[in-house]
Amino acid sequence: MILRSDHVAGAAFAAFGLLIVALSGDLPFGRLAMPGAGFLPNLVAGLMILFGVLLVLRASQESAPLTDIDWNDLQHAAPVISITAAGIALYTRAGFIITMVAMMVALLVLVERRSIFRAGLYSLVVVLLAFGLFAKFLRSPLPLSPFGF
Amino acid sequence: MEDTLHSLMLGFSVALQPSNLWYAFLGCLVGTLVGVLPGIGPLSGISILLPITFGLNATQAVIMLAGIYYGSQYGGSTTSILMRIPGEASSVMTCIDGNAMAKKGRAGAALCIAAVGSWIAGTFGIIVLTIVAPPLATLALRFGPPEYTALLVLGLIFLAYMSSTSLVRTLLMACLGLFFGMIGIDNMTGHFRYSFDLPELGDGIGIVPVAVGLFGLGEILATPSKNVIGEVIRPKLRELLPSREEWRQSAWPIARGSVLGFLIGIIPGSAHIISSFLSYALEKKVSKHPEEFGKGAVAGVAGPESANNAASTGAFVPMLALGLPTGPITAVLIGALMVHGVNAGPQLITEHPDVFWGFVASMYVGNLMLLALNLPLVGIFVTVLRIPYAYLYPLIIMFCVIGVYEVSHSIVDVWIMLIMGMLGYALRKFGFDPAPLVLGLVIAPVFEQSLRQSLIMSNGNYMIFTQRPIAVMLLIVSAGLLLMSAISFALKRKDWRAKLAEVEAGEGSS
Repeated sequence: MILRSDHVAGAAFAAFGLLIVALSGDLPFGRLAMPGAGFLPNLVAGLMILFGVLLVLRASQESAPLTDIDWNDLQHAAPVISITAAGIALYTRAGFIITMVAMMVALLVLVERRSIFRAGLYSLVVVLLAFGLFAKFLRSPLPLSPFGF
Repeated sequence: MEDTLHSLMLGFSVALQPSNLWYAFLGCLVGTLVGVLPGIGPLSGISILLPITFGLNATQAVIMLAGIYYGSQYGGSTTSILMRIPGEASSVMTCIDGNAMAKKGRAGAALCIAAVGSWIAGTFGIIVLTIVAPPLATLALRFGPPEYTALLVLGLIFLAYMSSTSLVRTLLMACLGLFFGMIGIDNMTGHFRYSFDLPELGDGIGIVPVAVGLFGLGEILATPSKNVIGEVIRPKLRELLPSREEWRQSAWPIARGSVLGFLIGIIPGSAHIISSFLSYALEKKVSKHPEEFGKGAVAGVAGPESANNAASTGAFVPMLALGLPTGPITAVLIGALMVHGVNAGPQLITEHPDVFWGFVASMYVGNLMLLALNLPLVGIFVTVLRIPYAYLYPLIIMFCVIGVYEVSHSIVDVWIMLIMGMLGYALRKFGFDPAPLVLGLVIAPVFEQSLRQSLIMSNGNYMIFTQRPIAVMLLIVSAGLLLMSAISFALKRKDWRAKLAEVEAGEGSS
């Protein structure tokens, strides 16, 4: 049997549905006349399991083999995710200006292979403009660094 | 009718206030830029810019956000015609004949026809919206919990039926959205659900981190910069006016596109995308020279561009009159109104007439602004298109982070955005459309409340849904749609949705 993308997706959704049922254990289901907090989550989880199984059953008619999925763009996506995650982790600690300049420079230099000078200058200008727009013009507080900016 | 005209006058008195005019202009300008730039769709544009509107009142916020929405429909055509890259999904069909016209030296004419067609269709849509929405809202005032439950079920099934992916996939996405919408404190019993002792999850998962993650970040992850390369054709200003023959060829396609687009816009689903595909197919079918399609047919630009603008206006009818989001964009707009303490739905017209009528009137003004904005500023948009995508997307990620963080100053929301970005990327890889997920998330609280209230009202008797005429009618339509899907599945027959999906996939890969 050829493993198809819908086999994987359907199984993942069915497993997620089962996980919801397991996590809903301590939520009261209630009665039909007085449904509890666990009523709709269990209903939705049941539907998710049903649709997941349907997807698996119809996989051979409707979906392409798993190996046909083009993951070439993962070379772009993975570093973007890592750099963004690092930026989020730093955001409230190092403040908006330092974090965003560092994040944009990292994206431009490490992912896009641009010159560090151009990347640094561009990042600094747009981050300062954004800071001015949000913090000064729109008076929306942005996280500050331990150095006070 | 007299009441409507009187109310519309009230709307114009609101929309023509200088501050509201300014926000309509800003929305149209930003929307056009969002439409022009490949990689940012109207949904991600609206989601990213949503926090900017928190400092405004509800009327200004919705005027600006709606301007971004219909402005993006105008702007999408510029990139399609000049670069053969759809600025956003509904402009895919304009690429074919619009770019062919540009290569023949008629780029200016194609842009002008797209802009005028969009204006006519947009204005037509608003006129019908003005007439239809108030009586529909009056009817919806009779809705109780069973009717709302049935209406939301119909909305989800309609969305699944109209989707170009399969019914099962769409319903799976909607279920996932419903589940996300149930995270947090249960309003009726006070139980914490799936919050894992994180106080930030007590209020549930917000629509902004989910929408920005799925559509803003998810789109960036799936779009490596090396894939966004294109030559921009720079039209000359003196070539902007179409010839008399080109005007003549575009008149009927604009009229047909306007009506078709508006009707499809009312129906849940990615209406603005579907309408442009159907309009293109219709124009090719009725044309005396179908062989010209693909080689620069005027109707191939005029029809789809009019249809997608009319559809984006049509989508406001159920949103404003029933509080029913027909797609992720209207779902985000409903979320934006809720942030300002205004609930979209039948009470909107009676409780907040200034918001409703101010918004409707601003669309008349906004469409005129877009017409005035698009053609003279085409040179600027061409310059914007020359900014390398490699420099653009880090900027978009920064706005995503700011936008999500500023909603409630919670870093947990920003992490949710990142997780949703990764989920959106994975869903695309496996052929799922994430739009129904956002819809499920938005309707989850209303759906759960109305379902549970209905059951409590009837002492646990499901027959309450068959005892109320409006509810039973809505459920019959839902059952009919499910039956139609089941028949076409059982007979393994390709219906119009399958054909549409094939065209969409074919164009997407070209």
